[in-house]
Formats: sequence, C-alpha cells, structure tokens
Amino acid sequence: MIGLHAPPAVGACCCVLKRDDWLDLARKLDWELSYVSEREAFPEVQSGHPWLPHADWAGWDEPFRTSYPEYVAGQHAKEASVAAVREAVGRVEDFQRLPRGWLEGLKLHAATLPLAEFAAVVGNLRAARFGRDSAWRSAALLGALDEMRHTQIPLTLMHDLVRWDPQFDWTHKFFHTNNWVAIAARHLTDELLLASNAIEFAIATNFVFETGFTNVQFVGLSALAHGVGDRMFEKMVGSIQTDEARHAQIGAPVLATVVKHDRRYAQYLLDKWFWRSWLLFAVVTGFSMDYLTPLEHRTSSFKEFMHEWVLDQFLRSLDEFGLERPWYWDIFLEGLDNYHHMVYASAYSYRASVWFNFVVPGPEERAWLRGKYPASWPDYDPIWQRISERWRESDLGNDFAVHGTAIVSFCDLCQLVLSNGTPRANTARVLDHDGRRYVFCSRPCQWIFEQEPERYAAHKDVVKRVLAGEAPANLVALVQRYFGLDHDTWGKDAFGGDYPWLERRPA
Amino acid sequence: MIPLYGFLEGDTIGLLVLANADDSIAEVARKLQVAARLRAAIDGPVTVLYDGKPVHAASTVSEAGIKPLSRIDVRRGPAA
Repeated sequence: MIGLHAPPAVGACCCVLKRDDWLDLARKLDWELSYVSEREAFPEVQSGHPWLPHADWAGWDEPFRTSYPEYVAGQHAKEASVAAVREAVGRVEDFQRLPRGWLEGLKLHAATLPLAEFAAVVGNLRAARFGRDSAWRSAALLGALDEMRHTQIPLTLMHDLVRWDPQFDWTHKFFHTNNWVAIAARHLTDELLLASNAIEFAIATNFVFETGFTNVQFVGLSALAHGVGDRMFEKMVGSIQTDEARHAQIGAPVLATVVKHDRRYAQYLLDKWFWRSWLLFAVVTGFSMDYLTPLEHRTSSFKEFMHEWVLDQFLRSLDEFGLERPWYWDIFLEGLDNYHHMVYASAYSYRASVWFNFVVPGPEERAWLRGKYPASWPDYDPIWQRISERWRESDLGNDFAVHGTAIVSFCDLCQLVLSNGTPRANTARVLDHDGRRYVFCSRPCQWIFEQEPERYAAHKDVVKRVLAGEAPANLVALVQRYFGLDHDTWGKDAFGGDYPWLERRPA
Repeated sequence: MIPLYGFLEGDTIGLLVLANADDSIAEVARKLQVAARLRAAIDGPVTVLYDGKPVHAASTVSEAGIKPLSRIDVRRGPAA
C-alpha cells in the first residue's frame, strides 16, 4: 500500500481530513496480489512493453492529482458554461452568420472529432484497467469520462445544424462510412485508440497526439474561432482543451519509465506516432488555417503555427527525455512547406468525394500564401491558375466541369492520397512484400509498415478494393455507393465558382 | 488491364492509370496527362520513367516489362 499517512492524534480537531491526508488513499492504492501473479493481472499484451514489476512504476505520478469529487464539480461547471454559450449563440441563425469557408472547416473538424474521441474512451478504459500504477489508472478513468464528453458536445451542437445543412450530418455519420477520409481516420484511430496497449496508448495518444498536437491545436483553433466570431466553436474547443490538458499528463511519466528501461522502443513509438499524427493533423488543421479561414482572420500560417505551438514544445520534450529527433526530421520539415498544399489542391479537384465544400484561393490569398511559403508556393500557384482558368470557362455552379475524373491512388499505410513530397517530386514508393505489392506515400509510411508488417499487411486501400471488385471503379458510383455521399452532401465549390476576383469570359 | 500509379510532374497527386499490355508508353503518358490536366500540364515533349529509368516512347507496356501497380512518372523532357 502506498502513500498512507498516520491518522491525526486522538483529540485533535479533525472532523474532516485534509485533502492531502486522504487523497492518495483514493487515487494511489496498489494492492499486493496473492491469488494471481502480477503478470497474470497485468499481461504484457494489454499492459504493454516493457513489462516491469510494479516496483518500477511505484513512483508514477502526474501533476493534477484530481479526486473524483473534484472532477465531478469541475466538469459540472464546464458543462454549465458550454450550455450557457450554446443558449446564447448556438442557434442555427448564429452559425448562418459565419463566413462560408469557416463553416466548411467546421464540418471537417466536426466529423473527424467526436467518434475519434469515442474510440479514445476505449483506450483510456484499457489504461484504467491495465495501466501499471493505480494513480495512472485513476487518471485514465477520468480521461475516459472526458472523452465521453468530447464525443457528446460536438454531436449535440452539430445535430441542430443538420436541418439547415445536411453535410453537418457527417458529424455522426463520417466514421461509419467507407469514405476515403474515414478509412484513413479509422486506420489511424483504430490502431491509436482501440488496439493499442496501455503503454503505447499513453505514449502515442497522451504524449504525442494530445500533448504534442491536439492540446495546443485546440488553443490555436479557439483563438482563430474567436477572431472569426464563432463563439460556440471557441467555447467547445476551449472547454475540451481543459480536459485534454489534464489527461494528456499521463503520457510523460509513462514515457520516462519506458525510456529508462528500453530507450530504443520509446524512440520507435515516438517516431511512429509523430508521423502518423502529423499526416491527419496537417489535413484537418492545415486546410482550416491556410485555406478555409477568411484571409482577414488569419493570424499565422499553418507552418508558423506548427513551429510556434508544436515543434518548439516537442523538441524541448525530446531533449528532456534524452531522445533523438525522428530520423525523418528533414522529410517532415519539407512536408511543413508542402503536404497540406498538395492534399488541398488534390482534394479540391476531387471535392465530390468528401462531405464539405472547398474554396479556391484567390489572388490575395495566393499572395499571402506566397509570402508565408516562399520556398514552395511557386509550385502551387500554377495549379490554382489552371483551376481558376477552368472555372472562368465553365458555367457557374457546374462543379463537375472543374473536377477530376480519374481514380486517385492511396497509401497502404496512412490510407491518405499519394500526395507527399512536392509537385516536382512526389515521394510515393512501391514495395513488394510476401507476394503482394504495396504503395506508400513516403519513406516514413513505408518504414512504419516494415516495422510491423503483420499489423498492416491485410488492410486494403481504396484502389485495392476497386481492383478486387469490392468498390465501384466508376468515380460517380464510387462516391455515391461506396463513399456514402449524394448530391446534397458531396463537396462542392463553396461559391459555385462565383468569385468576385474571377472575371468570366462573356458567353 | 494493367493498373499503374501515375505521377505527372507538376501535379499534386498520384493517379490510377489503366493501361493495356499493348499500349505504347506514349499512350500511357497521354492517358495520365489527360487525367491530370485540371491541375497540371506539360507543354512540349515528355519522358516516361519506370523504376526511375527512361523507357522508350514507342515500346509497349509489356515490352517495357512494366508490372501491375508499378510507379511510372511522366516528366518534362525529350522522349526516350
């Protein structure tokens, strides 16, 4: 038993124990097992590698040390606060006043967030049972309750908007479809949140994904929402962030113990999960910051945001733990200048395959992007000039006149489109493994696959499903019958090609 | 039908190109350029790379030994 203090002397004024006198009885109480061994109660397959006796975890702690009554009181106050903002500015009319591009970013975030959070309930509950110290298990249990809340808030808020715009229905529908973005998101979250053991979950989710990416992302997005005037989204992500800031603290003490006993494995988990997290993060947040947020409300580029909020902190953490930068760091830095631009231009030209609308960057936006990305933007400008030119020659609202028709290809690891590298040099690579041919968008994706091929080899990307006859080869049929979209919900140009800066040719 | 991953220089995405075994390399390059033309185009001659090496424009897919699900690149430059 850990952390028991002697009771106060008889006769002392002690009707109620002080918090520190009882707290560890509630959150840090590990029993000595007698009916089963420690290995049986905490098998490695669930608890994770390295398997260590409890004595090696006994010093585990996190700074919040929240008791259940404190948790309930705190969450109740947060819920009341979100409800008050919803009452004041959460009506359909309030959303209708927001800039069109911003609403599209909202649909993107709203779909990718809530059911990923729901999957995180499972990951947290696994840690609440198989985490190797009781304080870790206690914190993870509160984390599971947090994630339930993060599921329910966006589902509730966006539900009211469905009667106005059916694309908001994808807030709930997205993860249940075979849409290509959903396949990619599930491939990530199934491994990250549902299939990972307690140690991998703590390092991958709590340390890399939450501490490294989403915790600070929520701070940035909240500020951006404030600028745009979206008080509801600002409140929602701000409220979620306060939970994330607490349960993300599980990651660092787990990582510290793993580094001490198996540094190489710790480095592997970090390298793998930073890359996997980055790709999806770049799509969701990169699109919103550099394309969908109206120019007058942008405070920094996605790249600047990444440097200020993600990289500085991540590199400091690596130093703190004596770990190296991921081996692909130079590839990642090049990706900061390119990846979300590559995917956005690609996705724009296949927008009917997703559930939100897109905006063409006009001359002012392109000038802004040129200033923010001087090294890479010259490769993207001609692409947007061609797309603009196509709109100039097409009828307003005729989206399919400015749309791709070929089937696109997907990475066998991240399941996202083969859009890594640059327009001059796409970094896709082919690998033959056990008699089957795989394609990857990048060296890091191939490397992740090769570390644990048994984990990934059986999964089919969209192209393999088409070739196997499981999905239609015709693009329109693929969009409708396999991706789950129809005319009301598939993505369009948010302005139907009708931009004030785009002078049309006389008919 | 031989499915290939096609990458046009200047484009942002790899596209699935369905080639026939007796298609010339020039025809495969044309199919990819048509599929990508909304975003990118190459004015003038192109060269096709398979396994990073140029292949002759007049040879067929089967003569060039291109296997299904291989990567081909269409780049600026004189045809081989």
